[in-house]
Amino acid sequence: MKVLALYSIKGGVGKTAGAVNLAFNAAQAGYRTLVWDLDPQAASSYYFRIKPKIKGGSKNLIAGKHELDVLIKGTDFDNLDLIPVDFSFRNVDLLLDDQKKPTKQIKKRLKPLADSYDFIFLDCPPSISLLSEAIFEAADVLLSPIIPSTLSLRTLVQLKEFIDDHALTHAQLLPFFSMVDSRKKMHKDIMQQVLADYPATLKTTIPCASDIERMGVERMPLGAYSKSRSARAYAELWQEILMRLA
Amino acid sequence: MVTHFELPAHVTAEQLIASVSEQSSLHLVSKHPVLKTYYDSFDWRLYRHDIICEFSQSTQASILQLSHRKTSELIASTTLIEVPSFSTQFSADKMRQILEPVLEMRALRAICHVECLVYQFDIVNNDEKTVLRIQIEEFERFNHRLSLFPIKGYDKVAGRIVEVIAEQLKLCAIDRPLLLDILKSQSRHPKDYSSKLDIPLSPDMRADIASKLIFSNLLHMLKVNESGTIANIDTEFLHDFRVAVRRTRVGLSQVKNTLPDDIVVRFKEFFSWLGQITSETRDLDVYLLNFEYYKKQVPVDLRASLDLLHELLAAKQRQAQKQLAKHLRSARYSTLLAAWEAYLGSTPNNKPTQVDAKLTIKALADLRIWKVYKRVIKEGEAIDQHTPPEALHRLRKTCKKLRYLMEFFQHLYAERRITSLIKQLKRLQDVLGDYQDYATQQQKLMHFSQEMQVSNAPDKTIMAMALLIEDFDKRKNKIRDHFTWQFSAFKKPENHTVFHALFATHHS
Ligand SMILES: Nc1ncnc2c1ncn2[C@@H]1O[C@H](COP(=O)(O)OP(=O)(O)OP(=O)(O)O)[C@@H](O)[C@H]1O
Ligand SMILES: [Mg+2]
Repeated sequence: MKVLALYSIKGGVGKTAGAVNLAFNAAQAGYRTLVWDLDPQAASSYYFRIKPKIKGGSKNLIAGKHELDVLIKGTDFDNLDLIPVDFSFRNVDLLLDDQKKPTKQIKKRLKPLADSYDFIFLDCPPSISLLSEAIFEAADVLLSPIIPSTLSLRTLVQLKEFIDDHALTHAQLLPFFSMVDSRKKMHKDIMQQVLADYPATLKTTIPCASDIERMGVERMPLGAYSKSRSARAYAELWQEILMRLA
Repeated sequence: MVTHFELPAHVTAEQLIASVSEQSSLHLVSKHPVLKTYYDSFDWRLYRHDIICEFSQSTQASILQLSHRKTSELIASTTLIEVPSFSTQFSADKMRQILEPVLEMRALRAICHVECLVYQFDIVNNDEKTVLRIQIEEFERFNHRLSLFPIKGYDKVAGRIVEVIAEQLKLCAIDRPLLLDILKSQSRHPKDYSSKLDIPLSPDMRADIASKLIFSNLLHMLKVNESGTIANIDTEFLHDFRVAVRRTRVGLSQVKNTLPDDIVVRFKEFFSWLGQITSETRDLDVYLLNFEYYKKQVPVDLRASLDLLHELLAAKQRQAQKQLAKHLRSARYSTLLAAWEAYLGSTPNNKPTQVDAKLTIKALADLRIWKVYKRVIKEGEAIDQHTPPEALHRLRKTCKKLRYLMEFFQHLYAERRITSLIKQLKRLQDVLGDYQDYATQQQKLMHFSQEMQVSNAPDKTIMAMALLIEDFDKRKNKIRDHFTWQFSAFKKPENHTVFHALFATHHS
């Protein structure tokens, strides 16, 4: 089992789109895959048409009252399951804080699923919080979408600093470019600079495309309704991630 | 939750769909004709292990599925273009892991097939989220079937839907695989072949009539394995063919004085010939079957050098198999076999000429088994660490005679007692058989090694073979110790008492 967290300090950069579409590609290839929606906005639950509801509430979930397994819902796609979230999860930091070792809790909850899944994708809320620290502990890989702008460059630097400060060395940080407009010279320049400063950055880029935006209307992963260039981009990105994992 | 149902005879798929759609929204995913073919080995190994192997072919896909015979639960599934013959030819790991220990050397064969129309539906909720998958299979000659595939986390909804439609349409839960319906419609039965003997004798049958019944059973076993032997589908056809031959030979020599002398002489010769023409192929089969094991007996860096030996054996096997097939297609074979069959089918003589023909079969069986049992004990007791190998070889043959006699006549004795004796005899036979196997394999291997030296095989290969020969020798000698132990276990007083009570009736 490998845990991949879609993480960024910034909002609206393509974390949920990444989690949903990469998970879909993994499942299609036959890997037993799970998405855990950790953002109370419940966007990935929505994309899979799964009701935003944590059976027993966030409190029981974080307290470990029952196994994570009972919260799992099968999606409409083979090998692909999801754990939905609900609005009670907005207080997750308080709930975590009540626990003995707050930052170990996500990892601990995931452990019993090790034999059931090959890949678990965590769709994270945008912030730096106790939850994010718990996610860093649980994740093998941090996939961080970057929109090529001067601001997002700074965000990456911040994230790196945060990780280094907290000695979260075991998680591999793999940034990737999201919502790229290849016509914009500025995008190209910034991408070149990031690649130079941070060579671990994935080479495959996700273009800014209207069919990705349409996921909210279709309510399914991009690959389930489109064979476009952007669908292929996610497939290629997944291949590149697999290679990095090997 | 029940997941497999049979539709009542008058209910069509369309009606079922209409009734479901009254209470839930559903989407037709696909509707297409499918050809289902069921596979198993000739001796039904999968079925005996409660596995149903179904290959479904449609224009969209072809899928091989293993499911549990009683619960229909899916065990493994893989997409395939063609079903391979042997478990070792499967590339899907899980499939292979399940099939290999069950099938061993046996080939998968198509048993029967059926065409159907398969409807696949999704039942969706208000968000158009699938909460239950449904499959209906429409058959021409069998009741239609409904299968449900619940989705994790939606069991409650699914349960409610199922309850309503099962009630409304009077559906019956089903735990019988379709395979059984198809076989039944063809007047066939699963497990219709086993190499075990099961001859329905009754104690006061006349001896000559009973012996004909035994030979007819053996003839049947020989005939059903004939075409598989000729076609070399797998090595077990020849194996079982030879077992039938050997049993017949033991019958002809051991169930004495019941059939006319001229018959016995004529067919003893025929079956001895069958033994001869089949032995070389079988020997080579055994080598090839054991080859992986051989390889493991030599150091890792020498293993590849044994490939040359494998090539030689495989070439010899092909040659021997060809000869064997030719013999089994010959006029000599078919004429004599037909004559034997005709003789066994002829009405028994009311005034048989043979001295024991009019004995009851029970009396004859007692006599013969007791006599051969005493011989086993006598021969076994004469063996110690210094006896030459021939004595072990002779004892092995006597044990085989005893074993076959006990199996022929099994029905005449209390089942628990005789099967327990057979089991113990089998343990003794296993040791003797292993000894013999190592001895002949060692000898043959020396022979092959000489042959390969003449044809300038590399030193490494010759060396690896020398190691194997040495290994056989070591094992052979170890087995002699096992033998002493197994033999004393066999002749223990408790066994003797049972042998005496069952078979020494004419002495008391
Ligand atoms: N490559 C893209 N091209 C165009 N639109 C995109 C692309 N990726 C995501 N979007 C759209 O941008 C919005 C934000 O994307 P997404 O929800 O994936 O980001 P996020 O990082 O998960 O956001 P949040 O921080 O709010 O959870 C969504 O409306 C989505 O449809
Ligand atoms: Mg999001």
